Amino acid sequence: MAVATIKQKKKMSKKQKKDALWGLFFVSPFIIGFVIFMLGPMLFSFYGSFTNYNLTSKMDFIGFNNFRRMFNQDELFWKSLYNTGYYVLFNVPLTAIGSVLLAVLLNQQVRGMSVFRTIFYLPAILSGVAVYVLWMQMLSPTSGLVNTILAWIGVQGPAWLFDPQWTKPALILMKLWSVGGAMLLYLATLQNVPTQLYESAEIDGASAFKRFRHITLPLITPIIFYDVVTSTIGAFQIFQEAYVMTESGTNGPANSLLFYNLHMWNKAFVAFDMGYAMAMSMVLFVIVLSLTFVNLKLAPRWVHYGGGRSE
Amino acid sequence: MVKRKKSWLSLTITAGTALLLAACGGENEEGTGSEGTGDDGDKVSIEFWSFWGSGLRRDAIEEIIEDFNTSQDEIEVEYVYQPWGDIWTKSLASIAAGDPPDVIVQDINSVQQRAEAQQSTNLQEYISQEDDMESLFYPHLWETVFYEENAYALPFNTDTQVLFYNKDAFEEVGLDPETPPATWEELEEYARALDVQNGDSWERIGFYPLWNLGSDVWALNADNGVSWFDEEGNVTINTPEKVDALEWILEWQDYYGANTINSYEAEFGSGVADPFISGLVSIRAQNINYYTNLLENAPEDFNFGVAPLPEYEEGSGNWSWGGGFVLEVPYGAENPEASYEFMKYLTSTEVQEKFGLNSFDIMANQEANTNLISHPDLDEEGQMIYEMADRNLESTVITPVPLTAPDFSSLVNGEIDNMMLGNQSPEEALEAAQASVENLVEQNE
Repeated sequence: MAVATIKQKKKMSKKQKKDALWGLFFVSPFIIGFVIFMLGPMLFSFYGSFTNYNLTSKMDFIGFNNFRRMFNQDELFWKSLYNTGYYVLFNVPLTAIGSVLLAVLLNQQVRGMSVFRTIFYLPAILSGVAVYVLWMQMLSPTSGLVNTILAWIGVQGPAWLFDPQWTKPALILMKLWSVGGAMLLYLATLQNVPTQLYESAEIDGASAFKRFRHITLPLITPIIFYDVVTSTIGAFQIFQEAYVMTESGTNGPANSLLFYNLHMWNKAFVAFDMGYAMAMSMVLFVIVLSLTFVNLKLAPRWVHYGGGRSE
Repeated sequence: MVKRKKSWLSLTITAGTALLLAACGGENEEGTGSEGTGDDGDKVSIEFWSFWGSGLRRDAIEEIIEDFNTSQDEIEVEYVYQPWGDIWTKSLASIAAGDPPDVIVQDINSVQQRAEAQQSTNLQEYISQEDDMESLFYPHLWETVFYEENAYALPFNTDTQVLFYNKDAFEEVGLDPETPPATWEELEEYARALDVQNGDSWERIGFYPLWNLGSDVWALNADNGVSWFDEEGNVTINTPEKVDALEWILEWQDYYGANTINSYEAEFGSGVADPFISGLVSIRAQNINYYTNLLENAPEDFNFGVAPLPEYEEGSGNWSWGGGFVLEVPYGAENPEASYEFMKYLTSTEVQEKFGLNSFDIMANQEANTNLISHPDLDEEGQMIYEMADRNLESTVITPVPLTAPDFSSLVNGEIDNMMLGNQSPEEALEAAQASVENLVEQNE
């Protein structure tokens, strides 16, 4: 922002200059961190994607070869893109819906609510390998908790992580368990919705569902939008889950858990084809960037800001 | 006034940056402080990385390093444990950063791949000075360390795939516990005799080939010890013998039923819940290292035998597959000479024997293994394992990563998985895999 103001007014008073410098000073930790740890590596990998870089001995410019190989020859590239797309398509809406519903439930005036909130938030602070191992046990076909419960209601559960048709749904299910993080965001927003709106709607005779649909939902759309954008980006980067749950990156049965980042990792650290992996990361960057752009363009149609749009 | 403030500002920013960089650098030094020359004068200190973090191997290697450090006063070895999941990516990062460890335990299958990418140091000049380094090691292991006729590693330990069988179960059904199955056909007969079915469920499963071997090993066993690539690097996936091997595996799956197999597999525990120890499975094809599991978890009177993998047909050979680890000096390490001295020590007969004795690993040093066959400190079972290993290594194949297709395995495994699911025939699977891998080779050439 400071830079923008400098450009707009050609002549700044001494005080303004001083203020601008102070502004820069206060944001400098971010700027320095961003340039060194993000922008630098990003530019490097942009250049690297046009080379046969292997980390240790080669870095020759090879033009668009990596990209040509990726789109025309690498079968697993398309497979991994499909797997990741599938995951994103289900994971993003399901976790958004799940966390909104959970937040609404946990926003009721019931005694002992803080206990419930804690319980539902708890999975969000547990993370990493321990959780995945736990879920591998819960998803075990015959003695796992999930299939045991399904059996109570007379459903024979699938072989989850062993059946390529069910591996991705299993992962999506597992991710639903930890919606607590986003739930907390929604909960905070819900508590900001002015109660007089509900009161007047109630006087007008609006049902609970209508109040949710026409008051709550529109007022939390900015947070839903934020959640959808960030979780889309996050979902494209899925890696750990697949790496751990398929015994060190064996890609799952019939490569069904070969996600984009896992394929990239294999290219980089199994085949030492870092240039190719960098090219893959560039393609992912473009995909995520364009999706975010589309999201931003669509936003005005459904996102309502309390104070009206600022533009 | 303003000017003074400005320079103060830029000074603070510079100082802040420096601090940030210093803070980030600090972490690195902790991990790889290999340049340290130690406190006592001329002693060279070298850093040794391995993933032996606990149990028998950790104790064995620490004792050996201590012996080495006290046996001479020129080299001081510092042992650094790196977890299995991290060690090689960490070492790669440290090589790229120019500050690697001095000696590292590496995978035997990718020695050439690392040599080609200049991740490891050429050791030929040191090895050429030796009398006869070659004869120390099993020939098939020694072959793996060469890239363009220069040696880049020394083999350390190895393994091989064998059959473990439950002698009590054999006796119970009237099979001779001293004559394990010698061919695939016999294996099938034995398994049928050992099976116990009770209604829909199996109380005992005689044998299932994929417990615990990959279909690649059976394919190699059938195809005269030729893996997915032959010695010239040609893709040899779609061969009649390999198609046969996959059909054979499918027959087993059909016999027990995919559901039975999946659900048993998911329940397989380790320790006492191990299906071979609990008696659920009578014959198990497995890495010979499995012996340590039996040692730890099986009851005292558990009566088992080991045998080579059966032959595909009579006379086709008991081909088996193995892996192992080598010692390497990462590229850019500062004291390759001292590192080599230490590696030489680790591969010497005496030390190899000691490591084997304490860890039950099959060692790369031939004499060490043969000494262990009759070692007074080993019981009969332990001696039997080393005898079996020594014999089996003659027909054990190591399958180094092909330089033109280092990441080919997901292509083959994907097709085979689809075949096991009934989506395609073995012929179709191998035909597709052959085409995919040839395509990958073409991409990399």
